[in-house]
Amino acid sequence: MNKNKEQLLNKRYKAEQRFRLYGLSAIFMALLFLTIFIFKIFSTGYSAFQKTWLIVPVTFDAELMMLDQNPSKEDLQDADYYDIALKSMADLDPNANEDQENELKRMVSYFFEKEIKNELLNDPYLIGKTKEVYLTASDDLDQVFKGNYPRDLPEDQRRVSDYQLKIFDQLVANGKVESKFNISFFTNADSREAELAGIASSFMGSIFSILVCLMIAFPVAVLAAIYLEEFAPKNRFTDFIEVNINNLAAVPSIVFGLLGLGVLLAIFQLPRSTPLVGGITLSLMTLPTIIIAARASLKAVPPSIREAALAMGASRMQTTMHHTVPLSMPGTLSGTIIGLAQALGETAPLILIGMVAFVNTIPGSPMDPAASLPVQIYIWAESAERGFVEKVSACIMVLLGFLIMMNLFAQIIRHKFEKKWS
Amino acid sequence: MRKNGVKMIKIKAKDVDVFYGKKQALFNISLDIEENQVTALIGPSGCGKSTFLRCLNRMNDVIDICNVKGEILINDFNINDKSCDVVRLREKIGMVFQKPNPFPKTLYENVSYGPTIHGMAQSKQEMDEIVETSLKKAALWEEVKDRLHEPGTGLSGGQQQRLCIARAISVRPEVILMDEPCSALDPIATAQIEELIDELKKEHTIIIVTHSMAQAARVSQNTGFFHLGQLIEHGSTDKIFKNPDNKKTQDYITGRFG
Repeated sequence: MNKNKEQLLNKRYKAEQRFRLYGLSAIFMALLFLTIFIFKIFSTGYSAFQKTWLIVPVTFDAELMMLDQNPSKEDLQDADYYDIALKSMADLDPNANEDQENELKRMVSYFFEKEIKNELLNDPYLIGKTKEVYLTASDDLDQVFKGNYPRDLPEDQRRVSDYQLKIFDQLVANGKVESKFNISFFTNADSREAELAGIASSFMGSIFSILVCLMIAFPVAVLAAIYLEEFAPKNRFTDFIEVNINNLAAVPSIVFGLLGLGVLLAIFQLPRSTPLVGGITLSLMTLPTIIIAARASLKAVPPSIREAALAMGASRMQTTMHHTVPLSMPGTLSGTIIGLAQALGETAPLILIGMVAFVNTIPGSPMDPAASLPVQIYIWAESAERGFVEKVSACIMVLLGFLIMMNLFAQIIRHKFEKKWS
Repeated sequence: MRKNGVKMIKIKAKDVDVFYGKKQALFNISLDIEENQVTALIGPSGCGKSTFLRCLNRMNDVIDICNVKGEILINDFNINDKSCDVVRLREKIGMVFQKPNPFPKTLYENVSYGPTIHGMAQSKQEMDEIVETSLKKAALWEEVKDRLHEPGTGLSGGQQQRLCIARAISVRPEVILMDEPCSALDPIATAQIEELIDELKKEHTIIIVTHSMAQAARVSQNTGFFHLGQLIEHGSTDKIFKNPDNKKTQDYITGRFG
């Protein structure tokens, strides 16, 4: 009898140990995947925050620029920079033939003419002189310099020719290639050229979408939650509404995208590809999340507080507004931020309402066309150029940073305003 | 209080039935409650004494499935009548709950809440006065006068309950309903509250639900005994405790059941 009892006890302890082991291994697995994921993103993405520059001597030849003596500011604006830009690249190899000159030109970005122009606008006294100017390297050379481009491929499978590599290696040997922090990644809009593409448009697009989403979803959801929780009679109809709000939270986001496309764009004729439409679509998606969070935190307010207020002769409205709603706010707000974070990462509905369009301007208002961060990731991930690979990861890093900040903010709100009751 | 030996009746309940959905919780309760006296309602758990108490300020309205029938006359006015405004009724009839439930706000805000929503103070000074007198009447002033702007939830259980009493009397109600106000308190805090109840009956009519027969005997002048939704017996506390008419009352009071 006693022996049996001991065996049973041992068995129970063993079962608990096994269970702990399962739990630990589950956590270990989760952490492992997370680490691999983050390592992959960081190791691919960190190089996007660096940009490669070629330092090329440029002679600001007044004649080639078609400038006369003492040019005015307007003249400088209108001057022809293409020839001197071309010439300074060609001069890298004095023996180059025409084909090779073309290849030399493609070692820098399409923007090189403008970079030279800016140099002169900053310092008009450069006319007639020679100065070493920083030119953005083409995305392929950028990748070569960062070591992301395999040089041992046969030439016809590479986008960089042997000749370009030879000149580039010379420049590197002479210290004429430099890597600097990639400011343009944050200040430029999207571009077909990987070396110029940045996240400014999609970042602003995301912010505008989230703001529109917040301004629509928050008041509507909070009012709905307060009404349902504090005022609505409990009957079949309100049960039906409750079930459907829960269903709505489970609707795939692409369906909301179709709704945005069919109603907002087709019927209301709102402008395509704008954060306004994106935000409205996202707010439909966020609405049930916030309603559910707000109702849960209203429910969590102890009934004794409501009774206390009612017994003091407060009306239902006063009870709700003076006591229940303020007490439920921390929960509601953190639920809202979680909902917005979800919306921030949403891609499918935005693709349907056209925020996937190529936008090379930075939006100034929710009515301007824009992309959004997750859609930008999608667009770049689709692109063939090697230069976009690191951009995808870098954009993911920015998006993750954004999300972490929002969740942190939700936590702070929760801790700061959470009140303890008796 | 008796005028020329005649009892002044404050509350008159006539044939009150209460239903929770289809289940009947109170049967035909008729009970008179004297002005400026303490009336204790006793009985085993689930006998309906709290339900009856909550009828008196219509707190049962909050429960959707609860249905109250019959007449309850307060100052000869039927509060179950459609023309009765609950907000004004509850201004006249305060309530103290079983578990201390101060608002998670400061002491000052707790006490000033009622006078604020009922517009009883014209100025800051008047409000300060109301808060002070209420806290003094609740025998809490000396303990808290230096920390009026600290949260009310930071007080001890007994202090919280006295804060709730101060909050209830801040609007100068005619009647105070107390639903087992001492059940969550230790004997010292209980003694303080009982003393307070004795003091308060000078200005207010008090109805107290209690599980403690000793407490009923100590604080009340009249007692009603409830059992299974029926009012078995009611009368002066002396009579109920010493010489009850009903066998059930006798059994309950001597501890033979319940």
